[in-house]
Parts: sequence; C-alpha cells; structure tokens
Amino acid sequence: MRQPPRLLTRTLGVTFITVAVILTVVFTVLLVDARDRVRASELEKLQVGERAFSRFEAQRQRDQLIAISALSENSSLKAALDTYFAERGDQVAEQESALHETVRREVQRLASITGASVVAALDPEGHVFASGGVAAARWPAGVLVAGTTTSAPNTSGIAVVPAGAFRFSSAPLLLRDRLVGSLVVAASLDNAYAEDLARLADAGIVITVNDVAVAGTVGDALTRAVMASTGELRSTMTFDREEYAMRTLMALGPVRIYMLTSIDGAARKATRSAAVALGTIALWAFILAGFASLWLARTLTEPINRVSGAIATMTAARDFSRTVEPSGKSRELDALAASFNELMGGLTAAEAETRAAYLGTIRALAAALDARDPYTAGHSERVSQTAVVIARHMNLAESQVAVIRLGALLHDIGKIGLADDILQKPDPLRHPALGARILRQVSFLEPHLPIVELHHERPDGHGYPFGLRGDDIPIAARIVHVADAYDAMTSARAYRPARPHGAALAELQLYSGSQFDEECVEALREGLQAAAPHEDEESHRATG
Amino acid sequence: MFLRDAPARAVAPRRSAIRQRGETFLPRVVAVPVGSFVDFPNDDPIYHNVFSLSRARTFNLGRYPKGESRAVRFDKAGLVKVFCDIHSHMTATVYVFNHPWFTAPAAEGSFELTGLPVGDLQITAWHERLGDTTLRVKTEAGRPASIEFVLPVPAQ
Repeated sequence: MRQPPRLLTRTLGVTFITVAVILTVVFTVLLVDARDRVRASELEKLQVGERAFSRFEAQRQRDQLIAISALSENSSLKAALDTYFAERGDQVAEQESALHETVRREVQRLASITGASVVAALDPEGHVFASGGVAAARWPAGVLVAGTTTSAPNTSGIAVVPAGAFRFSSAPLLLRDRLVGSLVVAASLDNAYAEDLARLADAGIVITVNDVAVAGTVGDALTRAVMASTGELRSTMTFDREEYAMRTLMALGPVRIYMLTSIDGAARKATRSAAVALGTIALWAFILAGFASLWLARTLTEPINRVSGAIATMTAARDFSRTVEPSGKSRELDALAASFNELMGGLTAAEAETRAAYLGTIRALAAALDARDPYTAGHSERVSQTAVVIARHMNLAESQVAVIRLGALLHDIGKIGLADDILQKPDPLRHPALGARILRQVSFLEPHLPIVELHHERPDGHGYPFGLRGDDIPIAARIVHVADAYDAMTSARAYRPARPHGAALAELQLYSGSQFDEECVEALREGLQAAAPHEDEESHRATG
Repeated sequence: MFLRDAPARAVAPRRSAIRQRGETFLPRVVAVPVGSFVDFPNDDPIYHNVFSLSRARTFNLGRYPKGESRAVRFDKAGLVKVFCDIHSHMTATVYVFNHPWFTAPAAEGSFELTGLPVGDLQITAWHERLGDTTLRVKTEAGRPASIEFVLPVPAQ
C-alpha cells in the first residue's frame, strides 16, 4: 500500500499551489489591464503630442512673424526692389544687375542672420525675385511660389515650389501702403524638422506633400502604410501585425503631417516591466510561502513526532507510568498528549487491577491447596517468604524477586490434580509436570512456569521431572527447591514431627551441592541469621 | 502728366522742395526740368537719410536732423525714386524731364499742358502706384484739346 504523504510535503504543496493560483490570476488580470492602460496612455501621449505641436507651431509662427516684421522693414531691400520695378524695361543691364544684386545680398544676409533655410524676396505677383539661405537653390528666381499671398498682412503657412514644400512666414514689403513685393522666411519640411517634431511629440512623424512622403522618422514600409491608411484625423491602423494609433497633426494645403505611435510596442515594454516586477514578487512570495509552510509544518510535526516518539519509547520499555509532556505549541496537540496520558493512566490502573486480581486468585488457590492437608497449611506462603529471603541475599533483580515470590506461592499448584492419598505421601512425583500443564493455560503466569515445573530438579541430576543438572536448572527453581525443602523439614507432617531450624539448615548444608544448590543454601543461612537471630534460640527452645 | 516721346528742349531749371514731415515725403511726387535743384528739408524732430538708387540720379544725402536741408541737382531726365534709409516705408518720386511739356495735376485732378506740338500725341499719366497710363490726343493749331484719364487708384 502507498504511504500517505508527509505533513510537510502536504503543507508545502498546498501553499505553493495556492500562491501559484493567486499569482496566475494576478498576472493575467494585470497583463490584460496593462494593455488597456498602455492603449489609453498612448492615445493620451498622442493628444499631448498634438497639444505640444500646436503650442510649438503657434510659438514658432509668433516668433517667425515677429522676426519677419522686423526683417521686412529693410529700406535697402525695398528701395532696390521698387527702383528695379520702376525702371524695368528701360534700364541698362549694369544698373539692373546692381539692383538685383542688392536685393540678393540683402536676403542672403537676412538668411544668415536668421538661420532660416530660405529667405526670399518675391515680386508683387508672387514670383521669386531673389533668394538666400541653404535651400535657396530650390527657390530659383522667377519661380511662382504657391501658397503665399503677397497682399495680405503677415501670414504663415505652407509654401510649395516645384522643388518641395516649406513652412513659411511672409510679410509684405510696403512703401507707405504701396506693395513692392514680399519677404518670405521659409523652412523646409525635411527629416530634421520631422525629428524635431518626433522629439517634441515622443512619437513617429510622417510628412507628405501631395500624398508623397517627403520626410519622416519611421521606416519606408511603415510610411507607405500610413499613407495608405484611411487618412482620417484620428484612427488606428495595423501594420506588420502591430497596432498603431495615428493622428493628423497638420493638414494644410498639400501638406499632411502624421503622428503615430505603436500601441503594441509600448504594451510590450509595459508588459515586460510588469512581468519583471511580478516575477520578482512571485519569487519572494514562493520563498516566503516556502519558509512559512516549512515553519508551520515543523510546529505541527515536531510535537507530533515528540508524542509518537514518547509513545514508542514507552511501548518498547513497557513502562506506562511515564507521561507525554505537552508541547505548548498547539492546543489540539496538548489535548492529544493529555488524552494519551489519561489513556495510559487508565491502562496502567486497569493492568494493576488485573494483576492484583490474578494475584488474589493465585493466593486463594495456593491457600486452598495448602488447606487440603492440615500439615501443609500456610506452606506455600512460607516457601514464598523464604524464597524471597534467599533471592534477596543472592542479590537478584527486584523483577526476578517478584517472579520468585509468585512462583513460590504457586510451586505446588500441580498437587490440585492429585488424589488426597497420594498427596499425603512424602514425594508426589508428578505434581511439577501437572502444575506446568495448568500454568501453560494462563499466559500471564508464564514467567513462573520454570519454578513450578523444575522446583524438584537437583544439581546432581537426580531430581525430576527432567533430571537437569547444576546451572541447567534456572536459579529461581533452585531457590524455591531449597525454600520448599527447608519449610517441609521445619513443619510437622503426618508421618513425622517438625524439625528445628538449625537441624533443617544442617541437613540442607549436608546435601548442599548434591540435592541442593550450594549458593542457595548459603544464602538461606545468611538470610536466617540476618533476619531472625533469636529465631534460632526460639526454635532451639521449641525443640528443646 | 507729360507728353510721351517728346523731343528734347532745354527748359530753365527751377528749384523745388520735398519736405520730410511726419515720416512722409511731402509732396510725394515732384516733376522738374533737367538741371533743377530739389531741396530735402527735414521738418521732423528725428533724423532722416534720403537716398536714391535710380539710374537717373543716384545719391545719398546722409543723416541730418530737423531744420537742416540738403539739395540735389537732377541733370538727367528720368524717374528718380527717393527713399529714407532710416524709415523704410518713406518714398517719393522726382520725375525729371528734358522738355517743357509736363505738369503735376491740381489736387482735384485738373491739369493743363501748353504749347504742345500739333498732331497725334500721346499723353502719359504717371502715378506712383499705377505707373504709366498713356492716352492718345489729337491737337490742332490754336485749338485746345481735352483728355480725360480715369486712374483706378486703389483706396488707401
């Protein structure tokens, strides 16, 4: 049969399974929740990005308009431009180129001051008259700049030239209220600008002009996907199995600026950090739970082990007088120990009672036996006392003394089965075997069996029923043999009178070594001397 | 207002003035014969710097304060745009002619050109915002001819 698991195993198992289930549930809930949170936060981020962009754009436009207002108050520029157009047609080439050059130098100077990619002077019809700056090559003279309005006051917006699109701010060049042209400060919508925006919005940026991507911070494939998507102001799209949230930051003229962020990418990051945090928590939870259940199991198993150990010790020693100490660690275990102690107490008492009852019965039996013959009245009781005296003087163990005391009391039990006439004879040979047969029925009396069976064996081998020799005869049987003979001699019998103690002892000493065990006879002599020195005199007196 | 493609004819120079007052040139348009002087007195309590980049007469009078005046002699016929280097919105025009058939219209718009040649003529009206507007007129000896210009000057 399979053994049931140990308490420790069970505690650990239950604890770990519980912790694992709780952690799994928490994990699942948190991870699902994390994704929702990430989605919300990414959308929020886009909103923040939108706001940041509009603030950024508004500020930039304000700054640019302030700058352009100052720049447009340039008298050389205006004078050269106005003079050029006033004289157009009838001027000599040299003068014309001097005026043109004046304007060109002036816009180049303004471009280097402002750092703008393009500063251009436009004629009243909106054609480039002269341009300066790093992107000036894309604004060649004569090109019509779409998107700018020369007549309006300072404006900002998107200007489109054949070579690309630019964010611009422009101011009219006025002489009094007469328009002589306009000054444009423009910045190209290039990758640098897209990166600025991306940093600002913390999101990917795609810039398109007439549905052609001109700049961006995301890969080409993703850019194409953005342009292929719905084009709504707010939308989500899926690319390469990832979900993106998208906003149109700017839709001005042919220009679109899209902002996008990967919900899945952010969710992955959030999930990873959540998983790391939860993993750490789980590790610690398992360690703590392990220690806790270990401790719990120990507090349970240790007292249980102690109780069962105590029980095992007591059972092995057949000593039921000891008690199991309460552990003080658990009320239930202490109750168990107390019940066990109570049970053992009850058992001990019951056993003592049984023993006493047996003893009483045996005594009664022995007394009844002795009473069959007036000459042997009290014989068993006396033999028992004498045997105890001998045993004590031989320094036998108290447990052996107890066996001898009871065995001596029972030694002639076999005589129950003999007829009275046989009984009256001096040597009723069969009674030890009969006694042994009777005693074998009672397991409780087993220790006394050798005394009953062998108390007529002699050291010289002439005893009965087996004719055992010397040390082959158990010491208890030898003692009882001596005590029996001594009492028989000192008691009157129908066929002879009682002999005095001294004579009896002398006879015993005479046959010591052959009929009687020497040690036992010597012990009896010492015992008689030590116990009752006067008895000798008394017996002498009785004999005398 | 002037006769277009007129034959050159010497005219006695005169002296005119364009004042700088309230960050404006006053008057904004002056027509003079070749050889004339134009004074540029500064009436404003601030500095001005009158200059021109025009082919007919390029000059730069530098900065001068209120009460001071500097003069420029115009020796070449043509349109001379005048600006102020300090105040970029200020502008004036000096139209220099090498013949006598020019005039500036009165405030209400009437003008008169006398001693014009006889025949099919072209009269040009020049406005600082519109440039040239030319109409034809036929003149006969001893008889006045009238011509009417409608100039769509944008409201200011």
